[in-house]
Amino acid sequence: MTKPRNSGPTRRNVLAGAGAFGAASLAFPHISFSQDGKVVTVRSYSDLQVLDPAFRVSLPEDDIIRSIFAPMVVPVSGDVWDWKPIAVESIEQLDDLTISFKLRDNIGFTDGYGQMTAEDVKFSIERIADPANESPYAGDWSALKEVEVKDTLSGLIHLKNKFVPLWSTTLPTPASCILSKKAVEELGGKFTTETVAQSGQYLMAEWVPKQKTVLKRNPDWAHEPGGFDEIHIIPIEDPATAELGFEAGDLDYTWTAVSSLPRLKENPPAGSVVLEKPSLAYVWLGMNQDNETLKDVRIRRAIQHAIDRETVVDAAYFGAAAVANGIIAPGLPGNRDSVTYDYDPDKARALLEEAGATNLNVTLDILNQSERLTAAQVIQANLADVGVTCEIKQNDSGTFWTLGSKDGDYFMQLQLILGRYSMQPDPSWATVWFTPEQIGVWNWERFDSQEYKDLHEQGLVESDPAKRDEIYKKMQGLMDESGCYVFLTHEVVGAIHNDTIEPGLKPNGESLLADFKPA
Amino acid sequence: MSEAVSSPPARQSGPGRALRRLLREPLGVFAILLVALVVFGAIFADLLTQYDPTRINPRERFSPPGADHLLGTDQLGRDLFARVLHGGRIALYVALVSTAISLAIGIVLGLIAGYGPRWLDNLMILVFDAVKSFPTVMLALALVTLVGPSLTAVMVVVILVNVPGYARIIRTQTIALKTSEFVTAAQSMGASSARILRVHVLPNVIGPLVILASMDIPVVIAIEAGMSFLGLGVRPPTPSWGSILNDGFSNIRETAWIAVAGGLPIIVTTLGFTFLGETLRDVLDPRLKGRG
Repeated sequence: MTKPRNSGPTRRNVLAGAGAFGAASLAFPHISFSQDGKVVTVRSYSDLQVLDPAFRVSLPEDDIIRSIFAPMVVPVSGDVWDWKPIAVESIEQLDDLTISFKLRDNIGFTDGYGQMTAEDVKFSIERIADPANESPYAGDWSALKEVEVKDTLSGLIHLKNKFVPLWSTTLPTPASCILSKKAVEELGGKFTTETVAQSGQYLMAEWVPKQKTVLKRNPDWAHEPGGFDEIHIIPIEDPATAELGFEAGDLDYTWTAVSSLPRLKENPPAGSVVLEKPSLAYVWLGMNQDNETLKDVRIRRAIQHAIDRETVVDAAYFGAAAVANGIIAPGLPGNRDSVTYDYDPDKARALLEEAGATNLNVTLDILNQSERLTAAQVIQANLADVGVTCEIKQNDSGTFWTLGSKDGDYFMQLQLILGRYSMQPDPSWATVWFTPEQIGVWNWERFDSQEYKDLHEQGLVESDPAKRDEIYKKMQGLMDESGCYVFLTHEVVGAIHNDTIEPGLKPNGESLLADFKPA
Repeated sequence: MSEAVSSPPARQSGPGRALRRLLREPLGVFAILLVALVVFGAIFADLLTQYDPTRINPRERFSPPGADHLLGTDQLGRDLFARVLHGGRIALYVALVSTAISLAIGIVLGLIAGYGPRWLDNLMILVFDAVKSFPTVMLALALVTLVGPSLTAVMVVVILVNVPGYARIIRTQTIALKTSEFVTAAQSMGASSARILRVHVLPNVIGPLVILASMDIPVVIAIEAGMSFLGLGVRPPTPSWGSILNDGFSNIRETAWIAVAGGLPIIVTTLGFTFLGETLRDVLDPRLKGRG
């Protein structure tokens, strides 16, 4: 009797197969497959810290939050600012003070938290607006009176007053994400990175801090599906590192350094598409007016005059970005064409002398990115020219984004900061962060002006574009006068992606993960 | 009376003789040339270049090497040759000062551990091993988190990393000598412990440390460059080879010259001090010649 020949896989077969698979992966690095299908790997510039829409910290979190907690509406991908419904079947402004909505009837929360209801909408919106919760985003719903529940799926959003930015910077942001009332209450009213009761197009499958976040399609999502089965989000702070990662085939999509755009546009890597989008973001040098060293406004004004903004921006972005004159980007009401301080080192020296500030030493905190470091070194050289010694302190994103927080222990020591905030398409979304309520939250300069606050509130109810323009210009004038700000640039957004994918992007280049599709 | 106690026989060679033997070794001559090149550049940096290493001129950014700028310019238009020369000062300063301090502390602690009571020896060994067990990068990150990035932080990291190694070697040699005849003789003639350690033990244990220290210098330079590369060391605008290398990495797609300018001196210095250490070891202890 002969021994039957083993027809199963041998060790040699397995090794040969693995070798062939490895070789194929090397030959076609841009194609990767999960168990279920296609995977897209994108870079975010910071790791997630908070998933709670009311307390989110950074832009990359917005993208994850609206993918896993269904929002009422989301921005549409393309070159025009618009929105589309996600969790709602319909939503309509009945008059200046009333919005009606009806939820889709088959959206459920994971982990057994049941169907999404109008009661959850009421809870999710009112908790952001409630001053007792101290949400940094309370301003998004500052006009909210209440959410009235009509039935299981329908309700009315009542406003106290007209609120112009509602459809541009409140509803199409995570401020309209709907959470499970029951789940959040069980978590004590707020949460950070817990992922219970998800409801979006994607579910968070894995989060390895500082390494990756994996989103997988929600199998119970019955509406427009996301374009990929899995989205892998890799946090890489430095854009230059991310560009190398892209060219090595580790990423399908990344924002690039602005300074890399001229080179990439001229000579794009094979199989890639380079994008340039106008940015709404703003970058500025901030000064903490409550810090002992910078208390005297003459010192802050001196620093304003000491900074050569043209050189800072040119050096950091290699000519790819223009100098900004405020926090409101071109195309929006309130965009300015000048600031009230010019580059004048002699005036800076005179102001310092008048203030008796000799041998001034200051610390400039920056995010640990090559562009920021370059900009900071020019600022350092400018300050040295007028006799101010500036020490640059580089921080990783986790540390940086808590430096000015009143919950930390550094906010009074903070002196100079190189800040960059992302922006939504309404000027109020730029000015809100510098109101007195935001001191120690996002207002790290601790700029405290009642007039500014009153103007901000006027801007929220004023619908005449000319009058809004006037209001927001006046507000930026007050910022100039405080000496707390040196406005630098709005940047541009540069992105690069494989030609095998079609990224979903807002008009300003910010990503919409659920809209990423295979090309 | 203790003055009458004779020290043990002198080491096999004095410094002059060692130098002569070093110069007979081709590798030794090569090593001395490399080290001399780096030291000369660092000392005479101000004479060798007219440029201020921190002066910014964005209009001249990414200039290639040429007559005006021997190694080109970086992303801020700073002269790379000037930055490399001045960066050498930082590297050598950190390497020499922190190695010297490490040696001094290591010798004292090693002598105490080796000559002191058993319990003290055990305690000190425990501390040495505990400190040594921290990975250098983790130690650096922890320290920088506590005190912030600075040149002092770099030096403290280097000292913490090096002291346990030096102390252990001294301790081992001291224990071996503790029972030797000339030490016993000194003890019997009433010499104090301090005198015995200073006059009789130290001269006989320090030789291997000199070799080890010279071979540690490139390691220290690499630690300084590595920490500065990560933004944990020397702060801008002070030039450092590590920060130049970091600029080169960030702008590698624009020009490769910055990375070359940052990397080349690290390679030259590492090779120079490593060859010097190896040759010194061969010269001072020929039995070890050819061993790794």
